[in-house]
This record gives sequence, C-alpha cells and structure tokens, in this order.
Amino acid sequence: MRKLPWVIKYRPKKLGDVVNQEKAKEELSTWIELWLKEVPKERAVLLYGPPGCGKTSMSEALANEYGLDFIEMNASDYRRKVDLDRIARTAALQRSISGRTKLILLDEVDGISGTADVGALETILEIIKITVNPIIMTANNPWDPKLRPLRDAVKLIEFRKLTKTDVRKVLIRICGEERLSCDDDAIDFIAERCEGDLRSAINDLEAVAEGYGKVTLELVKNLLRQRDREYEPFEVVRRIFISKYAWQAKQATQQTDLTPDELIQWINENLPRQISDPEDLWRAYDYLSKADVFMGRIIRTGNWDLLTYAVELMSAGVSLSIINDVKGKYRWVKYSFPQKVLMTARTKEVRQIRDDLAEILAKHLNVSKSVVKSDVIPYMRVIFNNNIEVAGGLALSLNLSESMIRYLSYQNSHKIVELMNKLKVESSRKVDKLKADKVGGKRKDVKGRAGTLNGYFTNKPHSNQ
Amino acid sequence: MSTQTLVDLLWVEKYRPRTLSEIVNHEDVIRRLQQFIKEKNMPHLLFAGPPGTGKTTAAHALAHDLYGPDYRMYMLELNASDERGIDVIRGKVKEFSRSKLPTNIPFKIVLLDESDNMTADAQQALRRLMEMYVDVTRFILIANYPSKIIEPIQSRCAVFRFIPLRKEDVVRRLKWICSSEGIKCDEEGLEVIHEISEGDMRKAINILQASASIGDVNVSNVLKVVGLAHPREVREMIQLAFDGKFIDARDKLRELMISYGVSGTDIVKQIHREIFGTELAIPEPLKVEITDYLGEIQFRLVEGADEEIQLSALIAKLSLLGRAAKAVKQVK
Repeated sequence: MRKLPWVIKYRPKKLGDVVNQEKAKEELSTWIELWLKEVPKERAVLLYGPPGCGKTSMSEALANEYGLDFIEMNASDYRRKVDLDRIARTAALQRSISGRTKLILLDEVDGISGTADVGALETILEIIKITVNPIIMTANNPWDPKLRPLRDAVKLIEFRKLTKTDVRKVLIRICGEERLSCDDDAIDFIAERCEGDLRSAINDLEAVAEGYGKVTLELVKNLLRQRDREYEPFEVVRRIFISKYAWQAKQATQQTDLTPDELIQWINENLPRQISDPEDLWRAYDYLSKADVFMGRIIRTGNWDLLTYAVELMSAGVSLSIINDVKGKYRWVKYSFPQKVLMTARTKEVRQIRDDLAEILAKHLNVSKSVVKSDVIPYMRVIFNNNIEVAGGLALSLNLSESMIRYLSYQNSHKIVELMNKLKVESSRKVDKLKADKVGGKRKDVKGRAGTLNGYFTNKPHSNQ
Repeated sequence: MSTQTLVDLLWVEKYRPRTLSEIVNHEDVIRRLQQFIKEKNMPHLLFAGPPGTGKTTAAHALAHDLYGPDYRMYMLELNASDERGIDVIRGKVKEFSRSKLPTNIPFKIVLLDESDNMTADAQQALRRLMEMYVDVTRFILIANYPSKIIEPIQSRCAVFRFIPLRKEDVVRRLKWICSSEGIKCDEEGLEVIHEISEGDMRKAINILQASASIGDVNVSNVLKVVGLAHPREVREMIQLAFDGKFIDARDKLRELMISYGVSGTDIVKQIHREIFGTELAIPEPLKVEITDYLGEIQFRLVEGADEEIQLSALIAKLSLLGRAAKAVKQVK
C-alpha cells in the first residue's frame, strides 16, 4: 500500500474527530442540515482562522458525516475565471448523478490575487448567488479588503487557534496508533513550537519518527532546529517552486545558506526540469532574467537595496508564473547541482588555453580578446582544420603552444606540430645563414612585432632560396 | 598552395597598412591626420566608428609617421584586453602622461582602444589628465560608440568618424592581397566576402585567408568557410528550442559558451543571423517577435550578471514560439 503522509492519514473522518472548534462544528452542522432541507439564504460559508487549525479537515469530515460528494478546489485551481466556470459552476448548478448533494470546497480564497486573477472573485460571487449545492470557502485572513464583497455575501465561521493541549492530544494519539515510543517532553516541545498549527506539528512528528523510529527530546531538538535554520538546496528549490503565495516563495529563500547568486543558479538549473509547459517556462524565465538584471545592477553599482527585488523575482516571480500546468510543479523530479558550475570547473583548462591564445592574438592584431574570440579564432580553426601547411607556419609565427594547436584543430594537431618543429629548425638555419651573409633589410611592409616573430621569415624571396 | 613559406602570418596583420599613405580609403581623415604630422602638432583625437573600419590602424600609422618605425617607444597603448579601470588611469596612464618629454619629439601619445567600454569614473579621471598634461601628452581615444564617451572628453577631442568601407575599396584590397599571395580569386567570391563582413575589413581579410586555405577564393569556398566558422551549434540550438526540447537546447548553449567561449552577445547576433537566414523555416510574423525579444535579451545581457540565464530565457521564448508555429502549421 502506498504510504500516506500522516497529515492525510490521520485526517478526521467524522466531525467528532476534529479537535476543539466546538462552536464552528455546531454552526457548520446547523448550516448543512438546513441545506439538506432547502436552499438556505446563506448558500456559502467562509471558514477563517490561522493555518493548521482544521478548516479543510472539518469540511471533509462534514462531507463524510452527512454523506455528501466532496469537490475540492485549491487556490491554484481557480485562479482563472475559465477554470472556475468549468469546474465550480458546473458543480454548483448540478446535482450529482447519484442525486446526492455535493459539498464544494474553495480552499484558501485569500490566495486569489486581485490583479492577476481578474474576474475570479466576481465569478465566485456570481456562483454563490445561484448555487444549488453548499459551498465552503476557507481563508487565513478574511479581513483582506479584496474579500469584502465576499464577506458580505456569505456566512462567516471563525476557527480558533488550537491550544497546546489540543495539539498534544492529537500527537499522542498518532504515536499510539503508529506504535511509536514518544517521550512526553518531546511531544511538549513539538506542540509548543508549532504555535497552534496542527498540520506542521504532525509533519514535524512524522519527520522525526520517520528517520529514527522513536521520538525523544534530543532528536526533536536537533532535527527541528536544523530544519528551521536551513534547508538543503534541493529542498529550497522545491519549496520555491511549489509556493502558492509570494510570501511563501520569499520565505523559502531565507531558509538557506545559499547566496542569492548561488540560489539563482540552482533555480536556473532545475526550473526546466520541473516545468514542462512552454508558456509557464517562458514566463518563469522572463522573471529569472529580470532577477539577473537586478543582480547585475547590484554588482555594478554596489546598491544592495536592490537585492530584495532580485530575490523576489527569482522566487515568487518563478513560482507564480506557473499557471497552465499547476500540477506540474508538484511532480517529483530529480534535481541536479548547477551544471554550469561543474562544466566551468571541468573546462577550466580548455578555457585557459583559449584565453591565452586570445591574448596572443589580441596583442598581435591590436584588438580586444572578445573580438579575437568571435572574429579571428573561428577562421583560424577553419585554416587549422583544412590546411596543415599554412597552419604550421602560423603556429610558428605566433609561437603557439601544442595545446593551443590542439585547441584549434584536434584532428590535425600532430601533423601541425611536426611541421612547425621542422620549420623551426629550417628557419634557424636560415637565420644563421642570413646573418653570415649579412643580408639585413630588404623587408617590405612585413615586420615582426613580438620577439618571436621575425621579419626575415615572412619574406617570400628568402624562403625560395 | 605549394608555395613554400616557412612562416605564415595572419593576413590581417601582414597586410595592415603601416603608414598613413598606405591607407586607401577615408581620404579626408587621412589628409587631416597628415596635416598634423606636417605641423608636428595635434589636438586630442577621438576616432569613432564601427569595428574593422581602420581606427586602430590609423592611430598606429599616425604614430609611425610621427616618430618612425620605433614609434612604440613614445606611445602608451592600452588595449581593450588590458585593465583600464580608474586605478590604471591614475597610476600607469598618469605616470606616462606627466613624464618628461624626450627632446626629439613634440609630444607623447596615449592610445586608448575601445575607450567607450571604460567606466564613467575612469573617464572622469582621464579627462583631468588630458587637461593637465596636454603640453607633453596627446590622447587618441578609439570608440565604437562615441555617445558612450562622456561629454567633457568629447568636447576636448577632434572627432574623426570612420564609416564602413565601400564595396569597391574592400574588393580592391582583397584582390590586391590575393595577387600578392598568388591566390586565384573571382569577383563574385570577393563580393560575397564584402557582403558577409558588412564593411568590416578585418573580418573580410580573415574570411579571405580562411577561404584561401581550402582552395580558390570563390563563392562556394567562401560560404563553406563561413559555415564552418560559425558553429552549427547555434542552428541546432534554435531547432531544439523550436521542437520544445529545452534541456537539450540549453546543453548546446552551454557547449557554445563554455567550450567554444562564444560570448552571450555573439550568440544573440548569430541567432539573429539564423532567424533571417534561409536554413530554418520560420513563419514571417514570428521573425518579428523573435527579433523583438532578441533585442531585449541583448540589452539585459549588458545589464545583467549571468549570460546563461539571459540566453535560457531566450530559449524558453523560442520554444514557446515554436509551439505556436507548429499550431499554425497544423491549421494550414
């Protein structure tokens, strides 16, 4: 059987399983019972409260309790009006085939952006007015101004922050069912630091139990403190990609020792591995590119104030660009270390050779190294690959090393080196002869520059001697 | 190619004019420069114009005519590949500028190549030196984009504009090189070289020499050389991107940048050439859209920190457009 994460495995099945939240339970039951008789005045409710206090769980338990079909939409599913129309509207206007009432959950409505998801909230409002099935919405912060019209149209139900005792109770139950040995002080520690967020407490418990098979205070302290301080680069990248909100993505960037320029390399490396939809990928890359522009400006101007924009664009800009294929960002893919860094290290030698060659040529030709790389070396390669005789002569006149020759033509390097050495011997003989003959000038417009380059040799009449 | 030369030179170097009188074009510019030689006096100079139009050659020829064959003794030359930050200006350049003037020459010369790539701070420092030591030192600044030279420097210089070489000048020069080297060439071959090099003499001569290394200089050899010189990777990269194979396209990109050492800007330019070339079948409206983004990315390359990220964004755009192109084809 597939292993379920504990947060799902121990999700309450019935309303009675939900810890605390008695008032909310009562209100919700009354509302749904009304629905089962007739269409009530308040067709939708908005459950609000801090994260991990049981809003989603209770909705699911409610559906189980009353035997309703449960249809759940996450904020990421209903960002766009068309999606809402397609899924929510059909769900809201039709009874299911079984004739059972459908319970529709729109999770995290405060995640809808007022600007980017134009029309989404209006569509929800419309649907609420005409729905024939009960709709539950959840939000952490219902007082967000953009939710005002929604607030007016629905019944508000408050969820309270869970107490330490509530959390403890659940953790101890899970320990029992998992047959785990759990120290009391360890449970206390987890319950304390989760600050009423039961979901994160269960995740923490699972993380410790998973790795060690027992839960002691020492393990909890070590493991959880570490998790707080920093994540592995892989984990940071994953957290950024799956973020639903800008703050989540940004928060992920703060839980790492990676510097921003390292982080952007990690994101750059793995973004195309995670994202396959071309439109999403481009949107994400356009933000990554803009983040890099800010990085460049920071480097040039030393204005570190700009860093926050760079970091936000590379994290939130990327994760919120994933719109078409939202499921894709949860897909598990193997991430890899930034290849560019590896390749740069691996090719260090070759690049050194290339740069040395470029420097020699730049000096000879009075141009910059970048001009040499783009306008000279490519043509030298053609010569070295196709004409060993000329290549040998050039290699000698420029005093190229064997590795430079190999860089210019791998296949011909041996022959060129051989020829160059032969020419070297011949030319030194000629120099001696010329010196002996005291034949000096006669140079035309060809002159040597560097010490290695000697005008005598370039003069054809001599070479015909 | 059986002439037994012991040592070959790169022709760009071998056939570089050494004196002002050897320079065949830019007649007006040359005449004025020769006037400076005659008067043994000149203002600070700014040579502006696109690459390969003879700016550096003219500067060297001027110094040669002024001081003779050993002109390098009296000239401090800072190439683009040299460090030319504010420290170098305040150190090396200042030291040279204020040093005592040898009695046999009227002034020393500081030659700054690609001076438009110098930071604004370095330029400000330079401006002061130009003022303070004008009695003993003259500056020759060379720039592709004179607008990137700060205003106060521009106003202190006599500006000479170098324009791309005329077709007949390029062809004549190439023909002359061919006859000096004993190489067969035909008119069309040389014209194609001019077309490809866009008035850049340096590029033209490089193509000529590479073409000569594989045989006669004719159209087919010239095109072959250009094809060989520009790595196929660029076209392959575009094709992979169009096919939606982003990761493979990025591997090609890395090969180009890291193994070949092609700069980001050059890759953008080569993609641009491919887009308007004949090898890739790209719907016309997409060409415009790609051009728009190419320009944007080239700008961001200059502004940004990491070239690979910028070019990856470009690949992402190409794969997005590639999908659109495919959709268009299927509808048809």
